[in-house]
Amino acid sequence: MIIFRNVVKTYPPNTIALKNINLHIKPKEFVSIVGRSGTGKTTMAKIMIAEERPTKGRVIIGGWDITNIKSNEVPVLRRQIGVVFQDFKLLPKKTIFENVAFALEVSGQTRAHIHGIVPQVLKIVDLADKEQRYPLQLSGGEQQRVAIARALVHRPKILIADEPTGNLDSYNTKGIIDLLLKINEFGTTVVLVTHNREVVNAIQRRVITVENGEIVSDQRIGKYII
Amino acid sequence: MVFASLSRILLFTWQSFWRNFWLSLVTITVIGLTFISINFLIIMNVATDSALKIVRQKVDVSIYFKNDTGETKIQEVQTFLSSLTQVDSVRLITQNEALESFRQLHKDDPVIIQSLEELSTNPLGSTLVVKAKDTNEYAAIIAALEGSEFNDLILRKNFDDHKTYIEQINSFAANIRLVGIISTVVFSVIALLIVFNTIRVAVYTHRREIGIMKLVGATNWFISSPFLLESVLYGLLSALVAVPLIYLMLNFSQPYLNAFFQSGEVNLVGYFNKNFWKIFGLETLAIITLSMLSSAVAIRRYLKV
Repeated sequence: MIIFRNVVKTYPPNTIALKNINLHIKPKEFVSIVGRSGTGKTTMAKIMIAEERPTKGRVIIGGWDITNIKSNEVPVLRRQIGVVFQDFKLLPKKTIFENVAFALEVSGQTRAHIHGIVPQVLKIVDLADKEQRYPLQLSGGEQQRVAIARALVHRPKILIADEPTGNLDSYNTKGIIDLLLKINEFGTTVVLVTHNREVVNAIQRRVITVENGEIVSDQRIGKYII
Repeated sequence: MVFASLSRILLFTWQSFWRNFWLSLVTITVIGLTFISINFLIIMNVATDSALKIVRQKVDVSIYFKNDTGETKIQEVQTFLSSLTQVDSVRLITQNEALESFRQLHKDDPVIIQSLEELSTNPLGSTLVVKAKDTNEYAAIIAALEGSEFNDLILRKNFDDHKTYIEQINSFAANIRLVGIISTVVFSVIALLIVFNTIRVAVYTHRREIGIMKLVGATNWFISSPFLLESVLYGLLSALVAVPLIYLMLNFSQPYLNAFFQSGEVNLVGYFNKNFWKIFGLETLAIITLSMLSSAVAIRRYLKV
């Protein structure tokens, strides 16, 4: 599903973010990529959604070699991957319904389809009664659930969550992680990028540890080892 | 699909405009003020041109004939002058009319009136009053007359008296035109920068949203279109606000201009009515084009996600 082959990423003048990363994430896996801040785990997530290009090596997502993806192909890739960010990245001037619907509107889905599916997804994330509110009228946990709903609404095969609990308290963190596990149970490959020790240890799934741009550990049922 | 995208883009344009009401209001106000400033410059140029035209219309050259010149000869001169391309009109003042006019002018001066009574003949000759199409042409007209067979009939011309005056008007007109051109260029550049910067600021406030849209999988076209349409909306609405205000300004200033020039010839409202589409149509088109270009340039930066 996700393959990194000898991936190197450098930033001018001489910052090495990733050193020769080799990685294979299978379909329906739940993988946590962990490490301290600045070790390169977010760079890996950015490469997966073509926000960054690798300096060397190859990246294949869902059988598609995106190493040298063209600019006009990037939106097509992103519509096939759901992404959740630490800062939620919701559109502040759109309602919750409109934020989730936007992910379908960009791919030209019909109004009827959108009005059929968006309420269902909002129900899954337990926000059905708040669809006409604006993001700033919700709590952090609720905003992150909206972001997850938006990432899920087009039924992606891969969901990448980059520090999704970074801005949340422990109660909301548990809610978000439970939701990600539920999504994984439905068959979506989940890549969780985090530095939250408690979260990683509680999940009991595959853990890839990154340090100074290198994978230092890859455990099938792992723990946060740094 | 195309229709769905189009209707969505229109909806997004309206939502963005309405939900960012204060930003939209400020943008329209700034563009509207730029609109008014450009037209204020046009008003100044039109008023100055009209004022110069009025002054120029008052300029003429009188050609005084010797007393013994017959009417037939004078009519020949009139025909000759009328045939010159530079001449706008030639008016004949006969000896009697000249005398009557002289009497009217000096009716309160008993010494002059007494002297006239004592003379048995009319001391004044006929006069031709020549108006040129352009004040620059008087020298050429006089030269043509002096080079003709009629030169000997002429007692004197007041061209030399007027020469300095005419030259001053011409020089003043040339300077005014130069100032007009320079101020138009300067104003246009200022207007361009104001519109560009206003739109840039409007797009800048949406930069985070643009990035989010890109990350969700929106194409550049899908993201940019509402911004471009919003620029069109800004241009149209600022014109809708500015045009009535400009007319209010014109109607307010018209009586003062009439009083100042003591004539209704400087008709600003008439000028703007006559050239309504030429002025406001072109200006609106230019502002919309500029807004769209500014929007496209500003948004490009934030699309690189």
